[in-house]
Amino acid sequence: MSGKRILMAKTGLDGHWRGPTIVARALRDAGFEVIMIGMARPEEVVQACVDEDVDLVGLNIGGHIDVAVRAVTALREERPELPVFCGGVVPPHAKRKLEALGVEVYPPGSQLPDIVGAARRLTGLG
Amino acid sequence: MNDKNSDGKAWVSTSGIPLKPFYRDEDIPPQHRERLAAAPGEPPFHRGAYPTGYRTKPWRIFQLSGFGKPEDENARIKFLLEQGETGFIMEHDRNTGDHCYNVDHPEVVARREDVGLTGAVMQSVRDIDICMKDLPIETSYAHAGGAVVQHAPFALAGYWTVAKRRGVALDRLPGTGQSDYFLTYLGCVTKQQVPTDTGLRFNADIMEFCDRHLPRWVPVSIAGYNAADTGLNAFQELGALFANAVEYLEEIQRRGTMPLARAARGCGGVSFRMSMDLFEEASKLRAARLMWQQLLAERYDIRDPKVANLRIHCVTAGSRMTYQQPMNNIVRGTIMALAGALGGVQSLGVSGYDEALSIPSEHAHQMSVRIQQILQEETNVSAVTDPLGGSWYVETLTAELVERAWSFFDEIQAQGGFLASLDSGWLHEKAAENQHREFMAQETGEQVIVGVTAHKDDSSPYEVDGFMGVDDAFDVALERLEDVRRTRHEAGAAAALRQLEQVCRGSDNIMPAMMDALDAEVTLGEIGDVWRDVFGDWATPIQT
Repeated sequence: MSGKRILMAKTGLDGHWRGPTIVARALRDAGFEVIMIGMARPEEVVQACVDEDVDLVGLNIGGHIDVAVRAVTALREERPELPVFCGGVVPPHAKRKLEALGVEVYPPGSQLPDIVGAARRLTGLG
Repeated sequence: MNDKNSDGKAWVSTSGIPLKPFYRDEDIPPQHRERLAAAPGEPPFHRGAYPTGYRTKPWRIFQLSGFGKPEDENARIKFLLEQGETGFIMEHDRNTGDHCYNVDHPEVVARREDVGLTGAVMQSVRDIDICMKDLPIETSYAHAGGAVVQHAPFALAGYWTVAKRRGVALDRLPGTGQSDYFLTYLGCVTKQQVPTDTGLRFNADIMEFCDRHLPRWVPVSIAGYNAADTGLNAFQELGALFANAVEYLEEIQRRGTMPLARAARGCGGVSFRMSMDLFEEASKLRAARLMWQQLLAERYDIRDPKVANLRIHCVTAGSRMTYQQPMNNIVRGTIMALAGALGGVQSLGVSGYDEALSIPSEHAHQMSVRIQQILQEETNVSAVTDPLGGSWYVETLTAELVERAWSFFDEIQAQGGFLASLDSGWLHEKAAENQHREFMAQETGEQVIVGVTAHKDDSSPYEVDGFMGVDDAFDVALERLEDVRRTRHEAGAAAALRQLEQVCRGSDNIMPAMMDALDAEVTLGEIGDVWRDVFGDWATPIQT
C-alpha cells in the first residue's frame, strides 16, 4: 500500500459506472486506497474530502462541465492544496476550461498506466 | 494449423472463441447441420425473420435523438426525418426522467447545467405534447422514450395520452417502449430506482395494457445493447437477454391474464449491440433468432411462426467510438452497421462520430443517416437475404455462439434467475471482468484501437469540439413546471395521484391509473414520489 487515499465521485446524475470502476480498480491494484462515493453534489464532494482526509480527488464527469467546475471551485475554497484529476465525456473546450483551473483531464481513450502515473505524481509518490 | 500469431498470441473472436485459419464443411457441428437448408422466414429463423428480407422491408433508419427543451428535440427529430430517417426516437432528460424527479428536486438543482444535455426535459403531458408537435405519429414507428424501468410508465402514458388527445385511436398506434433492465440495473445504475421485482410488475403491467389496448405497440424491448456496452461479450449478451425474456414470460404465466404466445410476441422485439468483430456480430443476430425459436418451442411449446420470429433493432457500439481522431468513427459506424445489415436487422441506429465527445451534433446525426442510406442504396446489400448463410465459418460461429449462450443462460438460472443475478451483482461482476480484460489487452497491445493505442499521429484539420445543446433547458423547465402547477385542475390532479398510489399499494395494473394521471397533468416528480413511498429503493449491489 502507498498509504495515499483517493476520493472518487461522479458529478452528474448519469449512472454509467464502467469508466470510474475500471480506473478505481487500476488505482487499487497500484496500492492506493480508493474511496468511491458515487454520484455526489459539489458540496457532498467537499464534505467527503474533509471527512476522509484524502490526498487526491478523481471526478467522473458525465454531464455539463459547469457542474464539475463548481465542484472544483468549492474544493479549492476548502482545500486549496488538494490535487484534482478527472475523466469522462469531456470535449476539448471543457478540457481546456478544467486545465485552466489546474485540473488534469483524462478523456475517453486514456490508458490506465497514464492515469495511475498521474495519481502517483499528484500524490507526491514520484 | 496456425492458430497463433507470429508473436504467440491466439487468434480468437472478441468473445474468446478460438478461430481457425479457414473453415471447412466438417467444422459445422452435427446438431447444427439440419437447420442449414432452412430458408429465411422459416423456423428456426437464423437466416432471417422474413422470406424476402430488405427487398420488401428495408431496415428502419432509427436514430436516438434528443436534448434541450421539448421544442429543441422536436426540431432535431424533424431534421432527421427530413434527412431520411424512417422512424423516430424520443429521448427524455436523464437527470429528471431516469430518477422521476422534477427539475426543482434538490439533486437536479445541484446539477442544473446538466439538465437537457442528454434528452429533452418532459415533466408533464404538456411537455410531451410540445416534443411530439406535428410528428407523423399515426404512420411513423416511434420509440416513446422511457428506457429506464421506473420512467417507462410515465413516458408511455404521456405519449399515448397525447395521441388520444389528437384523436388517434390507440389500437392503431405503431411504436415501441423499452423499460430495459440492462440499462436500468446493469449499465447505468441510477441514484434511486424501484427494486427489480417492482420493475417486473411495471413491465408485465405494460405488456397486459398493450395487449388490451395497443396491439401494434411493442410494450417492452430488451436491450442487449446495454448489456454488451457494459461489458458482456457476444454470447453473454445473448444468454442474458433470453434469461431476461424468460423472467417476463414467467411473470405473465403466473398471472394467467393473457395468452403466453401474445406475451412472447410482445417481448420479441429486442435490440443488440453491433461492435467491431464483423463476423461474430453478424453471426450473433443469426444465433439470436435461432435461440428465440428454440426457447419458445422447447420451454413453452409456442411454435406459431408469427411469434417465433425475433425482430431485431441494432445500435452500433457507442463505446467503440473514439475521442481521438473522431473522423475514424465514420468508418467504424459503417462497419458495425454493415454487420447488422448482414445479420438481418429490422431497424438500425448508428452512433454519431462525436459519440465520445458529446451528444450528436446535427452533422454527426446526418452522417449516421447517410451511412445507412449508402449501405441501403449503393451497395446492393439489400438484394439477397442472409448473404452469409452457408459460409462454413459463419455457420460454425453461429453454432458456437448458440452453444455458449445457452451455457451462460444456464449459469444465470443457477444464480436463481435473471433478477437474482442483478440483485446480487453477479452480472455486474461478469461485465467488470471483461472490461478489465479488455483494458489489459489494450495495454499489452493485444487489442489495437487505431488513433488511440496505435497510429496516434493526428494532424487532421477536422476539429470536433462536442455539441453542447442549449443553455436554457433548466430555466424553461422550471417555468413550465410552475405553470402546470398553477393552471392545472388541482383537485383532479390530486385525485388522480391518490388513485395511482392506491393502485400501487394493491395489485391491479398501474397503467390505467397512469393514463388518468397523465391526462390530469400530474407531473413526473409527483409520480416518482409515489414510487419512492410505495416501493422504496433498489439495494444497489455495486459501488459506482
